[in-house]
Amino acid sequence: MRDLINEIWNSVRNNKLRTALTGFAVSWGIFLLICLLGAGNGIINAFQGSSDRFVTNSMDIMGGRTSLPANGYKEGRRINLDRGDLEIIEGKEFQDQVDKVAPVTSGVSDKMALGVKTVSTSMQGVTPQYLEIEKIQMDKGRFINPLDVEQRRKVVVLSTKHEKELDRNLVGKWVSMQGISFRVIGIYHSDESDWRTSAYIPYSTMKGIFKPGEEIDDIFITFNGVSNLEESLELENTISSRLKAHHEAHPDDPNAIWIWNRYSQNAQISQGQRLISIGMWILGILTLISGIVGVSNIMLISVKERTHEFGIRKAIGAKPGKILSLIIAESVSITAFFGYVGMGIGMLACEIMDKTLGQRSMNLGFDTIKMMDNPTVGLDVALEATLLLIVAGTLAGLIPAWKAAKVKPIEALRAE
Amino acid sequence: MALIELRDINKTYNNGQPLHVLKGINLDIERGEFVSIMGASGSGKSTLLNILGILDNYDTGTYHLAGKLIKDLSESQAAEYRNRMIGFIFQSFNLIGFKTAVENVELPLFYQGVPRRKRREMAMEYLEKLGLTQWATHFPNEMSGGQRQRVAIARALITKPEIILADEPTGALDSKTSVEVMELLKQLNKEEGITIIVVTHESGVANETNKIIHIKDGIIGQIEENAGHNAWDGTMMK
Repeated sequence: MRDLINEIWNSVRNNKLRTALTGFAVSWGIFLLICLLGAGNGIINAFQGSSDRFVTNSMDIMGGRTSLPANGYKEGRRINLDRGDLEIIEGKEFQDQVDKVAPVTSGVSDKMALGVKTVSTSMQGVTPQYLEIEKIQMDKGRFINPLDVEQRRKVVVLSTKHEKELDRNLVGKWVSMQGISFRVIGIYHSDESDWRTSAYIPYSTMKGIFKPGEEIDDIFITFNGVSNLEESLELENTISSRLKAHHEAHPDDPNAIWIWNRYSQNAQISQGQRLISIGMWILGILTLISGIVGVSNIMLISVKERTHEFGIRKAIGAKPGKILSLIIAESVSITAFFGYVGMGIGMLACEIMDKTLGQRSMNLGFDTIKMMDNPTVGLDVALEATLLLIVAGTLAGLIPAWKAAKVKPIEALRAE
Repeated sequence: MALIELRDINKTYNNGQPLHVLKGINLDIERGEFVSIMGASGSGKSTLLNILGILDNYDTGTYHLAGKLIKDLSESQAAEYRNRMIGFIFQSFNLIGFKTAVENVELPLFYQGVPRRKRREMAMEYLEKLGLTQWATHFPNEMSGGQRQRVAIARALITKPEIILADEPTGALDSKTSVEVMELLKQLNKEEGITIIVVTHESGVANETNKIIHIKDGIIGQIEENAGHNAWDGTMMK
C-alpha cells in the first residue's frame, strides 16, 4: 500500500501541470454537481415547505361562475355555496370518505384597532375544525372552540404578525373591527412567507354580524380512504358534480365549482421534485463526464510519455496486472482528491446560496414561498458522490491503464 | 543439461515482407560461462537477445533456461521468469528517472512481493558491493554514466538471477568507464560464478569475455574460445 502511494506521489510530483489541469477538470465537475444538487434541494425543500402547511388529504371548495348555459340560466352566473352544499357534503353519500368539514366566510379587509394603533387585516369566520384542516399552529392562547360558535362570541384569533404590529401581549385584550370590540383569545404562528394573516372569528359571529345570508365562501374538507391520485380525482369529481346539480349548473361546466385538491397538488409536487432531482443528477453527471474525459485524455498522454518506463518495469518483472492497477490507482487518486476539493468548494457555495437566495421569498399571488429552503446537500449525497468519483476515476483510468499494461517489454531496449 | 539450451530456433518478422531473422540457432551455454554474442547490426543478435531474455517469442524450436522450457508463455509467466531468472543490463542503463538509486535497485524485489524493509536492506547491500553506498538516495541524473551503469548492474544482480544479459553495456560510456564496467563484469563472473552473456558489436568488448559467439545473417558462425583474451589485440577498444 505504502509503495503504491509512493509510486502515485512520484508520478504526480513529476507531472505537476498535468495533474493540476486534470484536477481542475474534475473539481469543476464535482463542484457543479454539488451546486446543482444543492440548488435542486433548495427548490424541493421550498415546495415541500409550502405544501407542509396544510393537510394533504384536504380540499378547498369554492363557488365559481358558470361558463355554460344550463336549465334556462345563461352562462356567467355566479355560484355561491350555501347550506345546501354543506348538507350534501356532510350527508350520507360522502360520510365514509369525508372526515372534517369546515365552512369559511370571509369578511372584507378593514382596519383593526388597539387603542390608537391600527393595522389592516382581513377577517374570516371559521369553525373549530379549521384549525386542524389548515394546520394552524397556536403560539399563545387557544383557537375558536364550539362554544364560541354556539354563543356567537365576539372573540378573535390573531397572527404573530398582528401581535408584532399591535402589542406584545395581545391575548385578553380587546381589539375593535368595524366598530365592534373583539376579545383576543389566541395568537397563531405565521412567518414571513405565510399567506395567512387573517383574523379568525367564530363562523356564527361572522354570519350574524358582518355577512348575514346563506352564502359560504369556502368549504374545507378532509377526507380519508384515498390512497392514490386517481381516487382523489374521483372524489373531487363526484363532489363537484353533486354541487353542480344542486346549483343547476351544467354537469360539464368546468368553472361552476372550484375545488383545490391538495392531494393531487401534492402528488404533482412530489412528481416535480423527483423530476428536478433526476434532472440535477443528469446535468451534474454530464458535467462530470467532461471531467472524466479530461482525466482519461491526460492519463493517455502520460502513459504514452511513460512507455519506456513501463517497458523497463515489465522487462525487470512487472506483470501486466501490476501496471494496470498502478495506473488505475493513480487515476482514482487524482479523481478522488480533486473531487473532494470540488465537493468542499461546492458545499461552501451551497452555504452561501443558503445565506442569500435561501432568505428570499417569491410571491406567487395566491401564495408566498421561499425561493430556496436550505439549498445544501446531505451526507448521503457526499457518500454517493464519493462512490461516483471512484467509479469515475476507474473509468477514466481504464483505457490508459490498458494501454500501459500492453506496452511490450522490448520497449525497454529502445534507446531514448 | 546446459543452463541455456537453444535448439533450432527460428524467428520470422512479418512486417509487410516476411523477414527471416533467425534461421535455426543451436546454442548451449553452461553455468558460470562469460560469453559474448557478436555480430553486425541486422545479423539477428538483438532478436536472439530478446528471445534469450524472454522479451520476445520465437516461431519454432525449443529454448530451455535452467531446465525450464520457455515457450508460448503468458505475459504474466514471462514476467515472472524474467524477474526470477534474468538480470538485464542495458546500453542506456534504463533506470527510472524519478526513483533514487536504491529505489531503482529494489524494484525487481518489489515485483516479487518482498517486504519493504527487507528489500531496502538487500538493495543497500548490493549498492555497497558496487561502491555506491553514498549515492543511494541520489537520482540517476545526478550520477555519472559509470555510476548509473553500476546501479543498473546492482538492479540486475539483486534477484540472484540464473543469467545476466548485457546489451551493449558499454555503448553509452567513455572508454575509461567502459573498461571499468567490463572489469566489474569479469570480476562478478570470476568471483561469484555468475553466468554473463554480453551482446555487442564491438570486438574490444567481446575480447574481454571467455567465449565469443559470432552471429551472421541469422545463423551462428564461429564460436571462439577466448580464455586468453587475445582474440583481438585490444588496441581497438575505444
